[in-house]
Amino acid sequence: MLPFFTPIISMLVFSFLFTTIFLHTVDYIEGHTKSRPLGVTLILGVSITSIILFINSFISNLGLQIKAFTKKMQKDDFAINLENLSLQIKESLPEFFSDLVPESDKVILIAKNFLINIFQSILALLGSAGSFFFISFMVLIFTIILLIEYHDFKRSLVRFIPNKYLEIGLRTIYNIEQQISKYLRGQILAASSVAVLSIIGLFILNEFGANITLVIFIGIIAGLANLIPMIGPFIGMIPAILIAIMNNIGNELALTHSLFGIIPSPFYTFDIILMFIIVQQIDNNFITPLVVGESVGLHPMAVMIVLLIGGTLIGPLGMLFAIPAAGVLKVLLKEIIFITKNSHLL
Amino acid sequence: METIYKNYFRKKNKDPVLKAIEKIPIFETLSYKELKNIAHLTHERNYKLNEYVFKKHAPAEGMYVILDGEIEIKDPDSGNIYAKLHEGDFFGELALLDEEPRSASAISIKTSRLIGFFRTDLLTLIKRYPDLGNKILLNLARVLGERLRKTNKELTNSK
Repeated sequence: MLPFFTPIISMLVFSFLFTTIFLHTVDYIEGHTKSRPLGVTLILGVSITSIILFINSFISNLGLQIKAFTKKMQKDDFAINLENLSLQIKESLPEFFSDLVPESDKVILIAKNFLINIFQSILALLGSAGSFFFISFMVLIFTIILLIEYHDFKRSLVRFIPNKYLEIGLRTIYNIEQQISKYLRGQILAASSVAVLSIIGLFILNEFGANITLVIFIGIIAGLANLIPMIGPFIGMIPAILIAIMNNIGNELALTHSLFGIIPSPFYTFDIILMFIIVQQIDNNFITPLVVGESVGLHPMAVMIVLLIGGTLIGPLGMLFAIPAAGVLKVLLKEIIFITKNSHLL
Repeated sequence: METIYKNYFRKKNKDPVLKAIEKIPIFETLSYKELKNIAHLTHERNYKLNEYVFKKHAPAEGMYVILDGEIEIKDPDSGNIYAKLHEGDFFGELALLDEEPRSASAISIKTSRLIGFFRTDLLTLIKRYPDLGNKILLNLARVLGERLRKTNKELTNSK
């Protein structure tokens, strides 16, 4: 029974989250144009167009990247370069670790299998695209309905609150709305700044010869990954490192590159990691406190526990929603404690 | 033409919520459309005989307008009855502005039907219709100013 309802619940949760993100802007546009449907159309129109443009441009650029990489693979010296790379890594590592590096002929096999896996994953993704489009379409429809009817829905919900709890119920609903909305808008702002900072950082690395392509997309992916607290930043670096390796195979300079001329950093790997760490530090110490502030007000230990619970229960999506869900629980708990302590006032 | 005009206005006056709120000082000077927007945000509630609308010291969230029935405002500690309010009367409007606890209890002494307009509704209204929100805030300020003037006069007279 539950698995049947899970997609519907997820659709509703996503629609509710999108509604919360856009609600203030729709209210603002309605206040100025006197038309709510116009506000909803404008906001969703701009958002959907931007997403389509991003995906379209991402796919075409990724296609170009794959094409260039395939060309590189077909060249005779690619296998030799890969062999050399394997040997060089083996030589530079202590004996114990060098046993872990596969033989040169196996490296090509591993690389081949890796690419086959990537293509298989893309095919599997395309296979599930049908259901993805259906879910996205339903989320869009629910979001439109919720955005247009939000205040009426809320009013209908309030009708079910007994007179005794009316005022406290209204306060709780308002506080939950504020909690989620503040958190989401803060996170989006923080993610945008991480994206911008990562793009700037990658451009700077390119100035030093890192040869990283798809910079803007990597930046946006890093920004989006940043929405998952604690683990997200590490996800953000992976595409940058992979692309730097893909583009620099066979480039002797990139292979022997060292960070600050001291730390060996083949293919600018440690440069990229350091750049992302700097971006994270700027985000954690300056941007997030400014835009997200104490919106949820959870102790870092509680954040980690909540993330683990979310991740164990639902996976990455659970981690994404764990903090706002904990924020909502915190508001509810606060009100429940208030009601229990002050039951004589109700 | 006249029939259309009359029917149009008769239709307007049929809504009891609109009829009740248009007489409230803080909603004075508002157009029909603006009153409709407010009515759309209010909450209609039914109270049984002797049911509390709110208790003294409870956190205050908003005001009520009586559609029908009777409400008694009293101090449960001293037993003093401050007012008996009827259809069209309103109470608790100060809670729209501050978060101070209620200074008295409100009990329904007849089966009553009330309209609740709360601080969260006012905040939503300010966001959705800033002009309308400003008008209500100005009206609230005017009502409070009038009350202050009245209290000052009474104080001066008592001296």
